[in-house]
Parts: sequence; structure tokens; C-alpha cells
Amino acid sequence: MINKSYNVTEEKELVKASLSGDKNAFGEIVNRYQKMVARTVKGMLGDSVFAEDIGQEVFINLYYSLPGFRGESKLSTYIQKIAVNLTLNEIKRRKRFFSMFSHKANNEMHEFEIADHDTEERKEASEIVTKALLAMDPKFRIILTMRMLQGYSTKETAEILEVPIGTVLSRLSRAQEQLRNILIKM
Amino acid sequence: MNTSEIKNLMISSLNDDADTIEVPGRLEKEGISYNFSHNFGDKVLNKLFSAGLSIKREVEFVKYMNFAFYRIALTGVAAIVVLLISIFIIEGSLSLNSFLGLSDNYDESIVCLLTGN
Repeated sequence: MINKSYNVTEEKELVKASLSGDKNAFGEIVNRYQKMVARTVKGMLGDSVFAEDIGQEVFINLYYSLPGFRGESKLSTYIQKIAVNLTLNEIKRRKRFFSMFSHKANNEMHEFEIADHDTEERKEASEIVTKALLAMDPKFRIILTMRMLQGYSTKETAEILEVPIGTVLSRLSRAQEQLRNILIKM
Repeated sequence: MNTSEIKNLMISSLNDDADTIEVPGRLEKEGISYNFSHNFGDKVLNKLFSAGLSIKREVEFVKYMNFAFYRIALTGVAAIVVLLISIFIIEGSLSLNSFLGLSDNYDESIVCLLTGN
């Protein structure tokens, strides 16, 4: 269905074409940014089937909110904001759901699959990253995801999370402390 | 990269002044990558552009609801007609008293009926 040879390179042109009903243009946007969304969603929720559903929801939300996209920020930032919001909402929803059945409401996330890896060392590395991420508090997990999996600077992280840079800086140090404690136990 | 190097990389990525641009690439080299299924894009587009089908289903549902409503309404009207005919046959008229089943009763007998005295 997606025309892989779509060669419009400008984001604005892709957005414009998508708005005028060009399915291939929107398909190109999905192709370009799905990996970025996967890193955020799967980093936050674990590599589960639910993460893929949230990923789809991100692009569906993007499609319906495109008329409101004014191009003041990069399209990737706009998509990232949607991904972060939907993922955090999903975490809250799961927390509420699990808290109805268990006193350990924070254990909401431990349902994930580790992708196949070719060597034991790689598998171990992947497990460490996934388990450490899932063991973190969601507000620190999102910081680690933005920095480690997306490679964003403090300023970019602040823009995506829509918080002041000072807040990101304080969360960075607290997240680092929490991560150290988690990694010591592994 | 061994596990302690991975752990150090994770911790250092949270330094205020860390240059994190390289980190995702380094992790990917170690097999730590996140992807959706290969037909993810198609699934998204199918969900978005098969909306026409759901609208069609919705229209059909409304059509069936209308049909069901007429069936129920006609049955109701038929029941009312049968009731009127039976009242007319039993009471001999279609007055309010016949509807209320009071045509053969005197007021006193109603009082007796209601109070039991």
C-alpha cells in the first residue's frame, strides 16, 4: 500500500500532500518516523504487542491532528510529543487497571518480550537495558528514553516534554541516581 | 561492548553535559534496537483509510434499527387495534368507562372494591 519510491524530501511538502489526501505521502511520513516512535513507545512500555498498538495510535492521532500542525517545530518533535503523551497515558491507564487487582501497582510493566539476538552478550545487553528502563519511575524513564534511545539534548528533551530546562536537569540527576541503584542490583 | 560498558553508557547518557547523539547508534550496534513489525505502515494506513467501511457499517446498522423500529411499532398498533375490538365486543362501546372497565359498576361498588368494606 505504501509507495516506497515517494521522493518528496521536504517535511512541509509531505504534510501538505498528506493534508490534500495523498495516502502515499502520509505513508512516507509513517515510514520515516516509525523507528523513532518505536524507540519511544517500546522503550517506555517494553517490547510488547501493546506497544505496537500505541505506535499505530500515534500515527492515527498525527493524521487527524495534521491540520493543526503549523510547522513551528520540526515534524519529528511534533510526532515525538504525541508519542510521549500517548505512552504516558497508557502507563497511567495500566497503573489504574493493575491497582484494582494488586497492591503492587507499580509492577504494571513487566510484560515484555526480548527480541531475538544473535549472541548471548547482545541478548544480555538488551535485557539489561529493557529491565533497567522498566524498573524506573515513568517520569525518569521518559528522560532516559529521550536521552539514551533518541539521543536528544537537554533542550530538545525539555521541548518535547513541554517542561522547563531546569526541570529536565533536576530529573536527569534524579534519574541517574535511580538508574545507578537499579543497575547495581543487576 | 560488555555489560559493564553498557551500564556505564546508560548512566553517562544522563549526564547534564553528555553528547547523546551517538548513544542510540552505539546501542543499535550492540543489538539494542526497537522496531515495529515489518508491515506496520500498512496497518496504520489500513486503519486510517478503511474508515469508509466503518461508515458503511454504521449506515447499515441505522437501516436495520429503522426496520426493527417499524416492525415493533406495527406489532404495537396491531395489539392496540385487537384490544379496542375486544373492548367493543365485551363492553358494547368505546367510551372512557369501557376503557377503564367501569361501565357496569356503580360508584358504591367501586368504594367497596377499593376499601374492601
